[in-house]
Amino acid sequence: MLQNIVIGQYVPVTSPLHRLDSRSKLISLLALAVIVFLANEFWSYLALLATVVLFVALSRVPLRFFVKGLFPVFILIVFTFLLHAFFTNEGYVLFSILGFSIYSGGIEQGVFIAIRIGSLVILASLLTLTTKPIDLTDGFEFFLRPFKRFGLPAHEMALMMSISIRLIPTLLLEADRIMKAQAARGADFTKGTMKTRLETMTAFIIPLFVRSFKRAEDMATAMDARGYRGGEGRTKLRVLQWRLQDTIACIVVGGVGVVLAILRDF
Amino acid sequence: MRNTKTFRMVIYAVLGAMAAALMFISIPYPVFSFLSIDFSELPVLFAALLFSPIAGIAVAGIKILLYTLFATGAGDPIGMVSNFMASILFVLPVAYVYRHFQTIKGLIAGLGIATVFMAVTMALLNYLIFLPAYSWLIGWELSGQALWYTTLVGILPFNIVKGVFISLLFVPLFLKLYPLLQPGSLGTDFQRRSANHLKMKQN
Repeated sequence: MLQNIVIGQYVPVTSPLHRLDSRSKLISLLALAVIVFLANEFWSYLALLATVVLFVALSRVPLRFFVKGLFPVFILIVFTFLLHAFFTNEGYVLFSILGFSIYSGGIEQGVFIAIRIGSLVILASLLTLTTKPIDLTDGFEFFLRPFKRFGLPAHEMALMMSISIRLIPTLLLEADRIMKAQAARGADFTKGTMKTRLETMTAFIIPLFVRSFKRAEDMATAMDARGYRGGEGRTKLRVLQWRLQDTIACIVVGGVGVVLAILRDF
Repeated sequence: MRNTKTFRMVIYAVLGAMAAALMFISIPYPVFSFLSIDFSELPVLFAALLFSPIAGIAVAGIKILLYTLFATGAGDPIGMVSNFMASILFVLPVAYVYRHFQTIKGLIAGLGIATVFMAVTMALLNYLIFLPAYSWLIGWELSGQALWYTTLVGILPFNIVKGVFISLLFVPLFLKLYPLLQPGSLGTDFQRRSANHLKMKQN
């Protein structure tokens, strides 16, 4: 029942964005998150919207995945739009309802902010939709490495992330097995008052913890047995490669920033 | 349960994965829909109490990074940062108070102190940083009064409710799990296996 949950958001299709190095995508996302806030009038918002549409098209990821990403912020977007539509008194009056006058400035501002939030969310999901979590972890490790001299355990952090990513499906499988085992012994996780339900949950959580600790112990033993000794001098199965296309991607993002900076209204 | 560096690293990763999985099962808080209660703090608390406060921070970090990568967390960076801060502010006081007393009463006192500490600090942080950041994001100036209202009526009670919920779940769990996770109690399987192995060799 639980293994039907789709883990992660990565959509395996071939596209120019999928082929990019995770580091160039991380840099681009960080830059774009700032660039989004440069837009402040019609033409700059249009340019921003065009950029986002272009990137989405380039990613070749089916549109429904972006819609799914937008869903949690949908309420925020609608709320912000209505807030601006009803309470901004700029421009000329378009029409009046329920004693409120809707001004053109309010509608305009509402649409702009909706584009701003929507763009941020879509750009962020572009990263997770086109990059394998494991590649992202390697990218993070690369950017954290300079902080090693300040005592930040970059390699350990990246390794812990990779282990957790690998373990989530296993954990869900284990959770499913324990649930079935307890159900076979008569546990019912869906019935009863809050108190009895919490008690049944204990019968689920305790085995889960104990088994996870055992699993961790086995894994640590296996790692020690294979001579794991930390990040120093360790080689990698997957090596990140910065190619021409990554430089081009960064230049394109920089170009978008310049265009928006020129178009924006000071 | 062993306590080597490799084991600690792996167990933080396992607890982090559990916490991230628990974050998906969240209960929305009434009225203030952007707040939700989840039980992802439980593994973080276990890490902080069984190992060290730093372990708690590590697990909280893994949890939030995993959630950002796997769920739609990336769309709400401010929420992710504030969730991480809330985790740390809750777990650290529990860990320090419990380390000092090492009793059930100490644990309960620690949870109580942590709930109040986390709720008050998070209210301040929301008032000063997170709510202004949100209002900047949506391009709407929040007036001082609206800020106070959201903080005192929304954020503060929410964090207290969240702290109490987690504490109520955590105490019985910890009492049952603690003896199971003592040194040697989990390793018995492994020891028995190696003992059998040795016997076979002797024969």
